[in-house]
Amino acid sequence: MKLELRDVSYVYAPGTPFEVEALRGVSLVVEQGEVLGIVGGTGSGKSTLVQHMNLLLIPTSGDVLVDNVDARTLKKSDLRRRVGLVFQFPEAALFAPTVEEDVAFAPRQLGLGEAEVRERVIESLRAVGAGELSARSPFALSGGEKRRAAIAGVLAMKPEVLVLDEPTAGLDPATRRELLALILGLRQTGISVVLVSHDLDEVAEVADRICALHEGRVSATGTPAELFYTDPAQAPVTVRVASLLRASKPGIGTPVRFEETLQALRALQGG
Amino acid sequence: MTSRTLGQFYPVASPVHALDPRAKILAAAVFVVGLFLVDSTVGLLFVAAALVALVGVSRIPAGTFVRFMRPVLFIIALTVFFQVLFSREGSTLIAWGYFEVHTGGLRLGFFLALRILLLVSSAGLLTATTAPVALADGIEDLLSPLKRVRFPAHEVAMMMTIALRFIPTLGQEAEKIRGAQAARGADFSEGGPLRRARSLVPVLVPLTVGAFRRADELAEAMESRGYRGGEGRTRYRELIFGKGDALALIVTVLILLVGILL
Repeated sequence: MKLELRDVSYVYAPGTPFEVEALRGVSLVVEQGEVLGIVGGTGSGKSTLVQHMNLLLIPTSGDVLVDNVDARTLKKSDLRRRVGLVFQFPEAALFAPTVEEDVAFAPRQLGLGEAEVRERVIESLRAVGAGELSARSPFALSGGEKRRAAIAGVLAMKPEVLVLDEPTAGLDPATRRELLALILGLRQTGISVVLVSHDLDEVAEVADRICALHEGRVSATGTPAELFYTDPAQAPVTVRVASLLRASKPGIGTPVRFEETLQALRALQGG
Repeated sequence: MTSRTLGQFYPVASPVHALDPRAKILAAAVFVVGLFLVDSTVGLLFVAAALVALVGVSRIPAGTFVRFMRPVLFIIALTVFFQVLFSREGSTLIAWGYFEVHTGGLRLGFFLALRILLLVSSAGLLTATTAPVALADGIEDLLSPLKRVRFPAHEVAMMMTIALRFIPTLGQEAEKIRGAQAARGADFSEGGPLRRARSLVPVLVPLTVGAFRRADELAEAMESRGYRGGEGRTRYRELIFGKGDALALIVTVLILLVGILL
């Protein structure tokens, strides 16, 4: 499915001294089967933005469109299933006595039969590499295990778009790499992924396109190469290295991913 | 996320906000005690007018203040209902089987409703115009004479500060968890009261777990910064009870006296 935000603005607590304009006319498209990275500093509106994607927040003005249909006209439960949202620190919402039951929460809410629920629980726990955790209490897990269980809880809805808000924050490097691999795996099955992050290195590895937010506005959109090579000072380390070498060796091109960059460097060495 | 309710601090600059918290706490106490001594409707209306003026001076928008009152409307409605139903004073207005409405009942109902409204408003005005930390400092100072009889004034005030401080934090946390469960298809508005109560379990369990974790973290943070209780502890902001504060207190006493005499 195609998910589109058109000129979305959002104001917290309008008409009080606490009023905050979090989004100011944001427009963006998540195309079918792509990984869209959303980057921006703290307070740029990233987390507010993603909550509009399944209408947990209703825009103060502007529209959210699902396959060109106004999302407000869709059934809420249907929209929430199709756009799976994983909050920042999603492990804070684990609640059931066992991981299995926690992951089963969403599919049960969808009214699926027990057999189907069980199948989905096993499938989504396996997808996040947490199959062996199913009988454990979510409160007794490590941070990384909790995170996986929480993400499985959303995957179990079989969403068409998966929105991840800072999914790797506070994770160890190994778990982080596995999560990024999961994102690429999902993309291969046709699921779109929205990855919110302020870690440019990880966005560089998986994103097809990037949308940069600044103070509630979209400051730039484009492919990672387009975005990062216009301002190499604010780019992942691969781009910083390549752009420094480009001055004397233009043949290096504009690599972004680690593997790409490595190959480009090797080519330079060979040539 | 930011639905404001009774008792939340409303940060604007006003003469009421600027008063010493001790003056405001004492004035609120005088007000509450005084209200129970006011026994005429005219007196109560006079006090009400004074309170309305005070809310005006506090620069809290009237609409916001009225919204603060919403949670107590139910209690007021219930009180009025029972007064009207069970009072048999004065002439009969409606007689419908056992159900009779008398003028006395109506008058009493109105009187009690106004009294409750004023009680809650005065407390609401205190907490809306006083930052939680200032409020706790004021209470600590007012309770400190009791330290002689080993009353833990500082500890009580610290507990209050922490409780007040974490209300918005827990509120935000609850909102976030609610969002996360809603994203997993939880619906908090469907079904009967029992089903709705049950739908809150996925919110309340993690909220409680989180509160305990926070308490642990806070205790650790306080210890690591050398907190050892009230003994010999100084303050960043010293409270100064000035002439204006004394004046405010005297005016409050006078208003209540007039109300009682009317």
